[in-house]
Amino acid sequence: MNSMVRKEERKANKHVASYLVIGGIVIGLMMIFGILMLLQQGGVFDVGPALFYQFLTIHGTGMVGAAALAAAAIMYYFLRQYVDLTPEIFVTNLWLFLVGVVMVIIGVFSFEYASAWTFLYPLPALSAGAWGTLGAILYLGGMLVLGTGFVLFYIDAGRAIIKKYGSLGKGLGWDILSGKRPVDKAPPKAVIASTMVIIVNTTALIAGTVVIIMNMIHVVNPAFTFDPLLAKNLTYAFGHIFANAIIYMGVIAVYEILPRYAKRKWGVSKAFLVAWNMSTFFTLLIYTHHLLMDPSMPKWALIMAQILSYSNGLPVLVITAYGALMLVYKSGIKWDLASGLAFLSMLGWTLGVVPAIVDATIVVNHVMHNTKWVPGHFHMYMGLGAVVMLFAFMYFLAKEDSGIKENWLDKFGLTCYTISFLGISGSFLVSGAISTPRRWATHIPDWMGPAVFGGVSGVLALLASTIFIFHFTRYMALRNKMGSESYEKKLA
Amino acid sequence: MVQTVAWIVSLIFMMVIAGVFAFVFLRSKERRDYEPIKKKWYKARNFYAVTLIIIMLVATIYTLRELPYDQPVYGEGLEPTIVDVESVQFGWKMSETEFKVGEPIEFRVTATDVTHGFGIYDEDMMLLAQTQAMPEYTNEVYITFTEPGTYEILCLEYCGLGHHLMTETIEVTE
Repeated sequence: MNSMVRKEERKANKHVASYLVIGGIVIGLMMIFGILMLLQQGGVFDVGPALFYQFLTIHGTGMVGAAALAAAAIMYYFLRQYVDLTPEIFVTNLWLFLVGVVMVIIGVFSFEYASAWTFLYPLPALSAGAWGTLGAILYLGGMLVLGTGFVLFYIDAGRAIIKKYGSLGKGLGWDILSGKRPVDKAPPKAVIASTMVIIVNTTALIAGTVVIIMNMIHVVNPAFTFDPLLAKNLTYAFGHIFANAIIYMGVIAVYEILPRYAKRKWGVSKAFLVAWNMSTFFTLLIYTHHLLMDPSMPKWALIMAQILSYSNGLPVLVITAYGALMLVYKSGIKWDLASGLAFLSMLGWTLGVVPAIVDATIVVNHVMHNTKWVPGHFHMYMGLGAVVMLFAFMYFLAKEDSGIKENWLDKFGLTCYTISFLGISGSFLVSGAISTPRRWATHIPDWMGPAVFGGVSGVLALLASTIFIFHFTRYMALRNKMGSESYEKKLA
Repeated sequence: MVQTVAWIVSLIFMMVIAGVFAFVFLRSKERRDYEPIKKKWYKARNFYAVTLIIIMLVATIYTLRELPYDQPVYGEGLEPTIVDVESVQFGWKMSETEFKVGEPIEFRVTATDVTHGFGIYDEDMMLLAQTQAMPEYTNEVYITFTEPGTYEILCLEYCGLGHHLMTETIEVTE
C-alpha cells in the first residue's frame, strides 16, 4: 500500500474516531440527565417541573442524535472499504451536528424550551407561557441543521453505492433475488445494510424536514396552521425511523467483528437479502404503531401497524440474531471487549424486540401506550443493543488501529454495563406494568420504587460507559502520539 | 388484567432468549467444524421460523378479534351516556363526572390547544383505557365501569410544564 493511501486511511480513521468520541461523550452526558430525571421521579430530590422537562427534551434529542452520529461512523468506516465515499461530506456532517447541538442546547437551557424530542405540533408554539419563539426556533432550527448534515451523508453514500453497484435496488440484492445474478455476487453485508439505512433515513429526514419547517412557520406566524394528525404522522415517520435506523447502522460492526473473532464466514444468502428487504419495507411503515391510540387514523392502517410491527421482529429473530448465535456456537471464539460487546448487543436487540411486539398489540397498547413500558422497550433495544454496538466498535477500532491493551477495568465495565442496563430496562418495564405514565415530572409513592432503582442502575451504567469512553480516549491519545504506527505496520 | 399478561408473556420470552444466548456463550469456547453446525442449525431454523410465524399469526388473530376502536353492541333499548371531554393546558372539561356501575359510557375526547392523552385509572392506579386528545379531532373511549369508586383521569401525552398536574376525578356509584 503506498503512502498516499496510508495517509488517507489514517485521516479517515481520525474522522471516524472523532465521531465516536463526540458521540460517546454526548451519550455519557445524556445519561446524567436520564439519572436525574429518574431520581426526581423517585422523590430523591426536586429540580422542579421546568428543569425536569428540559432534561427530558435534551435527553431524548441528545441520545438519538449522538447514537445516530456514532452509528454513522460505523457505516462510513466499513462502507468506504467497498465504495468511494466523500470525506469532505463526512466532515461536514460532523460540523453541522455540532452546530445543531449548540443551537439545541441554547434553545433548551437558555430559553427553557421543553417540547420533548417529539415536538408534537402545535406544542412548540403553544407552551402555556413556558418558553418563547426564540427558544422554539433555536431548537427546531438546530434539529434542521443537524438533519441537513445527515441528509448530505446519506445522499453521498447512496451516490457511491449507485455508482459502484448500479442502483439502490442492486445494493439490496434485487438482482440476486430475481435470479439474474448468483448469490455469490451479492454485495457485502455493509453495503446491503447501508443501502437499507440510506433508503429509510432519507425518507425519515425528508418527513422530519417538512414537519420541522411547518412547526417553525407556525411558531413565527400562528395564523399558519396545519393538520395535527398529519403533523403527528410526519413527526413519527421522522423520529421512529431515524431512531430505529441506528441499530441497522450499528449492526454492520457486529457483522464485521464477530466473524473475525470466531474465524468463521458470515456469508450473504438469499434469506439474508430477503430479511434486509423486509426490514427496509417494515421500518418505513411501522412508525404507525405510535398512533394506535389515535382512532381518527384509518382502522386498516392501525391493524396493519400491529401486523407489520410483529413481522418486523422476524428479520432479527430469524436471520441476524440466529446467524450471530450460529457463528459463535462452538467456534472457539476469542472473547474480549469488542467481541463480548458485539455479542451482548445482539442479546439486547433481541430482548428489546419482545416488549416492543407486545406493546404494538392494539389491545395491550390501549393500557400501556405512553406508560413507562415504552421507554422500557427502547432502553433495552437502544441501551443494551444499539449503543453496545457503538462501544463494541470503539474497542474494535482501538485494537485495530493502535493495538492498545484492555485491562480488568474494561472487563468490569462490560459486566457493570450489562447488569445496570438490565436494571434500567427492567425498572421501566415494571413501571409500565403498574401503569406509571411516562414523561411525568412527579410520581405517586407507588411508582417511586422502580424509578429510584432505575436511577441507581443508571449511575452504574454511566460508570461503565465512562470506562469504555476513557479506553477510547486513551487510544486516541496514543494514536496521536504514535501517529498510528501500529496501524501503518498492519497496512504495510 | 392485560398489563399482567403482557408482563408475564414478555418475561417468559425474554428469559428464553437470554437462556439461548447463555447456552451459546457457554458452548463458545470449544471449537468444532462450522459446516456440520451450519447444516444442522439451518435445518432447525426452518422449523424455528415456521413456529415463530405460527405464534405471531395466532397472537394476531386472537388479539384483533375485539378492538377498542369499535363501538360495543349495546342491549336493546340501552343507550350509552355520551360524555364530552375537552382537554386544555392543563385540565379537563367534562360534561359529566358521575356515573353508575353497569352504565355504558362513551367519552368523546378532543383538545382545544395541544395534543393530550385521556387515560382512565382505577382506584389502584391501574390504567383501564385511553385515547389521544387531539385538536380538530374527536376520539371515542367506550367503557362500562364494573366497580364503584373514585377513578382518575390522567394526561398521557406530554403537553407542557403542567402535564403531570393534568388530572381529574370521576365518581362511579352502585
